Amino acid sequence: MSRINKNVVLALLTLTSSAFLLFQLYYYKHYLSTKNGAGLSKSKGSRIGFDSTQWRAVKKFIMLTSSQNVPVFLIDPLVLELINKNFEQVKNTSQGSISQCTFFCAPRDFTAFALQYHLWKNEEGWFRIAENMGFQCLKIESKDPRLDGIDSLSGTEIPLHYICKLATHAIHLVVFHERSGNYLWHGHLRLKEHIDRKFVPFRKLQFGRYPGAFDRPELQQVTVDGLEVLIPKDPMHFVEEVPHSRFIECRYKEARAFFQQYLDDNTVEAVAFRKSAKELLQLAAKTLNKLGVPFWLSSGTCLGWYRQCNIIPYSKDVDLGIFIQDYKSDIILAFQDAGLPLKHKFGKVEDSLELSFQGKDDVKLDIFFFYEETDHMWNGGTQAKTGKKFKYLFPKFTLCWTEFVDMKVHVPCETLEYIEANYGKTWKIPVKTWDWKRSPPNVQPNGIWPISEWDEVIQLY
Amino acid sequence: MDDWKPSPLIKPFGARKKRSWYLTWKYKLTNQRALRRFCQTGAVVFLLVTVIVNIKLILDTRRAISEANEDPEPEQDYDEVLGRLEPPRRRGSGPRRVLDVEVYSSRSKVYVAVDGTTVLEDEAREQGRGIHVIVLNQATGHVMAKRVFDTYSPHEDEAMVLFLNMVAPGRVLICTVKDEGSFHLKDTAKALLRSLGSQAGPALGWRDTWAFVGRKGGPVLGEKHSKSPALSSWGDPVLLKTDVPLSSAEEAECHWADTELNRRRRRFCSKVEGYGSVCSCKDPTPIEFSPDPLPDNKVLKVPVAVIAGNRPNYLYRMLRSLLSAQGVSPQMITVFIDGYYEEPMDVVALFGLRGIQHTPISIKNARVSQHYKASLTATFNLFPEAKFAVVLEEDLDIAVDFFSFLSQSIHLLEEDDSLYCISAWNDQGYEHTAEDPALLYRVETMPGLGWVLRRSLYKEELEPKWPTPEKLWDWDMWMRMPEQRRGRECIIPDVSRSYHFGIVGLNMNGYFHEAYFKKHKFNTVPGVQLRNVDSLKKEAYEVEVHRLLSEAEVLDHSKNPCEDSFLPDTEGHTYVAFIRMEKEDDFTTWTQLAKCLHIWDLDVRGNHRGLWRLFRKKNHFLVVGVPASPYSVKKPPSVTPIFLEPPPKEEGAPGAAEQT
Repeated sequence: MSRINKNVVLALLTLTSSAFLLFQLYYYKHYLSTKNGAGLSKSKGSRIGFDSTQWRAVKKFIMLTSSQNVPVFLIDPLVLELINKNFEQVKNTSQGSISQCTFFCAPRDFTAFALQYHLWKNEEGWFRIAENMGFQCLKIESKDPRLDGIDSLSGTEIPLHYICKLATHAIHLVVFHERSGNYLWHGHLRLKEHIDRKFVPFRKLQFGRYPGAFDRPELQQVTVDGLEVLIPKDPMHFVEEVPHSRFIECRYKEARAFFQQYLDDNTVEAVAFRKSAKELLQLAAKTLNKLGVPFWLSSGTCLGWYRQCNIIPYSKDVDLGIFIQDYKSDIILAFQDAGLPLKHKFGKVEDSLELSFQGKDDVKLDIFFFYEETDHMWNGGTQAKTGKKFKYLFPKFTLCWTEFVDMKVHVPCETLEYIEANYGKTWKIPVKTWDWKRSPPNVQPNGIWPISEWDEVIQLY
Repeated sequence: MDDWKPSPLIKPFGARKKRSWYLTWKYKLTNQRALRRFCQTGAVVFLLVTVIVNIKLILDTRRAISEANEDPEPEQDYDEVLGRLEPPRRRGSGPRRVLDVEVYSSRSKVYVAVDGTTVLEDEAREQGRGIHVIVLNQATGHVMAKRVFDTYSPHEDEAMVLFLNMVAPGRVLICTVKDEGSFHLKDTAKALLRSLGSQAGPALGWRDTWAFVGRKGGPVLGEKHSKSPALSSWGDPVLLKTDVPLSSAEEAECHWADTELNRRRRRFCSKVEGYGSVCSCKDPTPIEFSPDPLPDNKVLKVPVAVIAGNRPNYLYRMLRSLLSAQGVSPQMITVFIDGYYEEPMDVVALFGLRGIQHTPISIKNARVSQHYKASLTATFNLFPEAKFAVVLEEDLDIAVDFFSFLSQSIHLLEEDDSLYCISAWNDQGYEHTAEDPALLYRVETMPGLGWVLRRSLYKEELEPKWPTPEKLWDWDMWMRMPEQRRGRECIIPDVSRSYHFGIVGLNMNGYFHEAYFKKHKFNTVPGVQLRNVDSLKKEAYEVEVHRLLSEAEVLDHSKNPCEDSFLPDTEGHTYVAFIRMEKEDDFTTWTQLAKCLHIWDLDVRGNHRGLWRLFRKKNHFLVVGVPASPYSVKKPPSVTPIFLEPPPKEEGAPGAAEQT
């Protein structure tokens, strides 16, 4: 009896065991193959890794886009970094001599590509063809931010992101749109209600958490793992842009409400001032960009952007902020060469530096240098007559891109905190008389320059 | 997945191997009982362990997968903050098979309600006279077209016949009369009504009321009629209530091949009616035109803004001609619709173009002006790299060589600062006054009606001071003002590259159109090579004009310039006439001359420093204003400039002269 029982038990166990083995096979097939991708296919001899799902998904995607003439380029930071490290390999190899899948087979959930929307001629049929090729695609659309600045226009939605999944790997196609100011913009990947949250692990996407702004990259054709792809000519420049690419839109709706309340100033003088201020800002931006000095809109210019998406016509100057660690001694010379002579220089690099340049038509360019402390930032002011020093305190902030008078410029991401520090809670109400020594709520007296230093720290031209 | 190969390295395979190895071993030791027993126990334990390990592995894998997929928090980042954008559509219980239709006809009011929703209501005084026609989709009950034909007036019945013939068979037709609809309802129209099965329609009399519901080509679903008892009174109001059975969706649709284009067509045709053969089941008219590309097209990347209102039939005609023009690039076209009108948007979608709607601001002309501003700003925002934009309106036909004309001339706008625009329209280019499609002019007036705007002009000058909504100005009049134009000129062709067909409009009516627009010359020749384009630059043009004046034959100034015999019956000659023009803004004689030449006389158009250029009897005809024009020096001393007396002021100009 017991023997039979034992045999039965044995048989049963064997059965269950094999059943579970089958199960296991199933799971390996479906979920683990991505992770072990490279290791799985030794059988192909010299062509290592070329049947990983990543590589196959990318290959199919490239086939699709080149057959449909969709000019995509690779923007995946991981892959671009690898390419940058082994640049010789992508330049000089043809498909035949590749022995290993180095770039596209690295384990990851997504490969990111980008596309300039205005170069895309046949968007309509593309989706269908992708699905016929086995991709499962998700299209994220939104309204066009380029129409936001204009009263009450509503148009056809524009595509922002495509996510196309093939087996376990997904291609993230970021759609770049041209914006005024010669840069490319991509939108926020925002899921509508009916979209399956588990379609792909959205959190791991490299692009789309915020809208982003990028310099328009020049492209080059390379062969990566046997696939012809376009990549930015300077891959590292692009990769470095990614973490700082966050873009914030001007608050057009609030700006319209502001103008409804306070009416825009459209007098000849206001139009003229705006024009010269815009030109001055463009010139300053050009000069600083050439030097590689990052800057942001500060004080009144920042307030104008935030409150009314325009230059405040009675502000009389253009204000920029620069972190003191980015200070370069040739800034002054560069501005002089650009036709903006130094008007005054207050403070010194170690303390309260402030530069002022004379633009055309009596418009002044003020550059405030910001100093970072452990829990706040500050910039300094100096009264020329008395040598009194002032300190303007700001909560810590980071920089974001925005568009202002047809330019891509930085503003503090935490704009509201920045503006409230500088102008108080009532910043929404226009004030025409402003005393820079007394009016700002964040001003603090900061002692007085010793007379011996005056020659250095108070320079008027 | 097919080529997935099990790897020998993976653990479970190891387990299986072990088991077979155990079996051989077991047979070897088959006679040693104790050992066997031990082995059996070992095997059981081993198998148990295998099972447990397997279960655990499965569970682990499963958990890992669900964790990777779930990530509850990130969703917040990506969730639609605005909440539900698309409200759930109102839906009746189950598919409705019957529509409940009410139609009312009376002297002063008509209305039509479908399932309790009013789809037509007109009780305005002095408006909406005639037969109102509504077309419903037989499967969904949606209103596909709404028209009113004032059949009290002549020719309106012809339009009605045209329209009803275009409606696809099977559609539900609703007709109702307001005020009077029989006076000019001719036999053709009555025969058509009879063919629809109507009893009362063909017999409709003076001031009768009439309500009709029927299926095109099918049964009548209801009809009511009330005869007017006397000439001076109206028939009693009639209210027709009837049930309309709905048919299935397949029946309502044509069976076109399943292509991207036909998908657009199907979407369009299930929504609207009255666009002719675009929706016919057999051999529908194409909606993609693929005209020949232009070699060396300089305007391929120039955005095209089409300014539209709620005249979808016009827009349809306009877009057809635009998309048929050589060198067009559809992805550069944006249609700006002034208002939230659906049908124009449907037309835009039919052609696969980009459409943008604009919430109306202000009223009348100021509304048009604000719409223009928003559209132009949007165009330059959408195409930040574009240096120019082409501006078109929905009531224009576009010449086949429109883009070729621009491609050949656009460099002028880049190279010559003294230019304000390039326009496809010659205000004075009528059938009898325009001749040479290869010829260009410089003019001080801005003609509009298909023109090119420079980005810098718009962004730096016009946009900042564009008239605000409370100023009720015409945008084009404003653009023509000296403060804006600042002495700059526009390039125009002798033979226009656009044709203004709009009869209904803000500043437009049938009489006005007939008088000023109908006989306008419109180029139909493809690929015209423009002559001597660089001679249009500021200095070169002066040289050219002087050359022309020098070789021109002076006409006999003793003759009446309004007489046909003023110009000899020759061909290919150049003639010049001198008219009186005391100051730069003295156009008394010119206006009278324009009037008798039957060209644009409502304000001054087409002049260049006191010179007008046109064609008469195939001769180039120059008119110089003396002494204001600098070209007066070319006047022989013996010639006395012509002076024409303005007629005594009794009749004003017919309405505000404007071409929007």
